[in-house]
This record gives sequence, C-alpha cells and structure tokens, in this order.
Amino acid sequence: MAAIEESGGGGHGKGDGKVRGKKMSTRVDMTPMVDLGFLLITFFMLATTMSKPTAMSVFFPDKQEDKKEEQTEPLKASKVLTLFMGANDDVYYLDGVSADDDNAQASLKTTRHGAELRDVIFASQRRINAANPKDDKGNEAFVVVIKPTDVSSYKNMVDVLDEMAITKSKRYALVDFLSDAEKKVLGDKIKPKN
Amino acid sequence: MGVVKPKKHPPHTDMTAMTDVAFLLLTFFIMTATFKTNDAEITTPTSISQIKVPDDELMIISIDKDGKVYFGVDAKPTRIEMLDNIAQTKGISFSDVEKAKFSIQTSFGLPINQLKPWLNMPKDQMASVKQPGIPTDSTGTSELADWVYAARKANPGLRIALKGDNIAKFPKFKDVLANLQSQNINKFSLITGSEDAPAGFKE
Repeated sequence: MAAIEESGGGGHGKGDGKVRGKKMSTRVDMTPMVDLGFLLITFFMLATTMSKPTAMSVFFPDKQEDKKEEQTEPLKASKVLTLFMGANDDVYYLDGVSADDDNAQASLKTTRHGAELRDVIFASQRRINAANPKDDKGNEAFVVVIKPTDVSSYKNMVDVLDEMAITKSKRYALVDFLSDAEKKVLGDKIKPKN
Repeated sequence: MGVVKPKKHPPHTDMTAMTDVAFLLLTFFIMTATFKTNDAEITTPTSISQIKVPDDELMIISIDKDGKVYFGVDAKPTRIEMLDNIAQTKGISFSDVEKAKFSIQTSFGLPINQLKPWLNMPKDQMASVKQPGIPTDSTGTSELADWVYAARKANPGLRIALKGDNIAKFPKFKDVLANLQSQNINKFSLITGSEDAPAGFKE
C-alpha cells in the first residue's frame, strides 16, 4: 500500500553531479476506487428490481349485452368443468356434472392450485374432448366455467386464468354468480369465517 | 550483519482489472435500475405470460392486500390534466401548487374530498398519511370510474393495467371490474410477476 518511499533519499552520495529527475512510480493505488465501486454496485443491486412484471391480457364480455344472452343455447353440463375457488387456495370442482343434479354433492371434489389442478383440467379436457366432437366452427367441446367465490383471493383468480393458458383451454368463462343449487352444493365451504 | 535480507516489497496486486469489472457491473446496474416507488407494497401473483408491461401510456389501478384501491397514471402532464378534469366534474378547484404536487405522485388512494387537504401538507407528512384507498363500493359511492374517465379524457391512448395483491379478496376485484365496465372498458391487462411455464409446455 504505502509505495511512496521507494529508493527515497538515494542519489546524494553518488556525487556525479547530474541531478536526475526522480522517477516517480506511476502506479496509482486503486483500492479506494474499487471499494467505492463495489459499494455502489451493492447499492444498485439491492435497489434494482430485476424481474420486470409481465402483463396478462383479459377480456370481459360487455355488460350491456346481457339481455341477448338468453337467446343462446345453454351449455350442456356434460361438456363443462366447473371450478369453484374457495378459501385457503382450495378449488372445488364439478367435472361434467351440473350443480342441479342429484349426485352433485357426491361428485364435488376438492383439489389444490398448481400441478394438482392442472392434472384435473387435463384429465377433464381429454375426457370431454374424446367424448364430444368438435363443433362446426372447429372449437373443442371442452368448456371451463370459473367461479370465484367471495372467500377466494385475487391470486386464485389469476392462477386459474394462468392454468387456462397452460392447459390451452380456449373456452372458459369467469362467472361471479353462484346459482342457488351451487350455493347448496358448496354449503359452508364458501362462507366467510368471521 | 552479513545476512542479506531481501528487500521487502509490500505485496502489490494489480487492481486495474478488478476495477474494470467493478465499474462495468456498476454501469450495468445503474442503467437497468428502476427505483422502487413509494407506492403501496403489492406482491403480485405470477403467470406464465411473456408479454412485458408497457412503460408508458399506462394507467395502473392497484389493489393492496387490505383491498384498498390506488390509482396512478404515468406522465406528469396527463396527471395535471386528469386533475383538471375531475375538478371540473366535481366542482372543486386546485391551485397551481396543488397541481404541481399532485403531478409528482405516482399513485394515490384517497377519496376526492380528502385530496385537497392531503396536497396541502408538507412533503414529508404526505408520505406518512395512511391512505384509505379510492372508494369503489359498487353499492355506495364509487369514485374510481370518475378517475378512469378523467384520465382517459386527458389521454385517450392510456392502457389500463390492474395490479392486485396476492391476498386481496375477489369481491374487491369484482368492484373494480364493475367500475371499469361501467366505463365500457372490457379489455385490460393484469400485472403479474413472471413465472416459468411447467415442463412440456409449448406455445
């Protein structure tokens, strides 16, 4: 570090008259600069948010067209996988069964978000698409109805929408309305806890 | 006496290369740094979507973990114009100082009647105020739709993005959605973190 007094005070005893310019070391001590550099790096690394957020586009049907909807053909329950999002990241589902059915209560199953839910969707997708032909527009028969309940979180909704992208389920609907039959089937599962 | 000691040189490492690397990294981090804003802390869910959130012309509606709603528009002139628009419809007026102060806020979450007192506070106090969130109640008063309208009037090209916290409850999202749909907005983006698609997933 202290590289200043190298060969200092020599020169005098030699006595050959010539005064040479003292050769100074051109070496600069970089240590403080490096210190500062790394300090700033640390600061900026901590201050930076590296992963840029991504955006997921969603389209919602126009509210004003509600009246026309009655003219469309109702979905056949056998082609529909209905997902209910409950509290604590639970997902309840009815696979090809309508909530009005007598055995709805018995066929309501529970799964979890993530890989488990994905398996459920894939299984249902395969089953329904194999049993039903594509419609005249070339769409697959499989339809997912997503029903978030009041106890579910925003994350649950995004997760399920993401599953739709992962399983390439093209036809899905986000419905925040629960029919009386569905409320009965779900029972206490969707009651707020307080 | 006769022992010749080797001249002691302090061990000298050449720092130049290290400095080069350090400053290269430093430059990189300075360039890429986007600073955390003083917005509410929101941890967004993740999705496999690859679309990046656009940097400009963006209107962000945030829902924090308590279900409070915040609103933010990106450019300063737009913010001022938006404030002018809302002042007009609500029959209040803002001074130039208040407008200037409003224009530097990236987002806010206050009912309109609390906005003026808030803007009159000193800067350090403004940050410490607990913002109650913009009223979005679908049955009672809802001001979010007014803000969205004012912002779109100021800049019709604004894209709408919704940024919700993981544990925000779904009914809150429903309220926000109702506000947007009352303005005939049916297309918008949800801001999410990025996540790797599961193995075997193909576009």
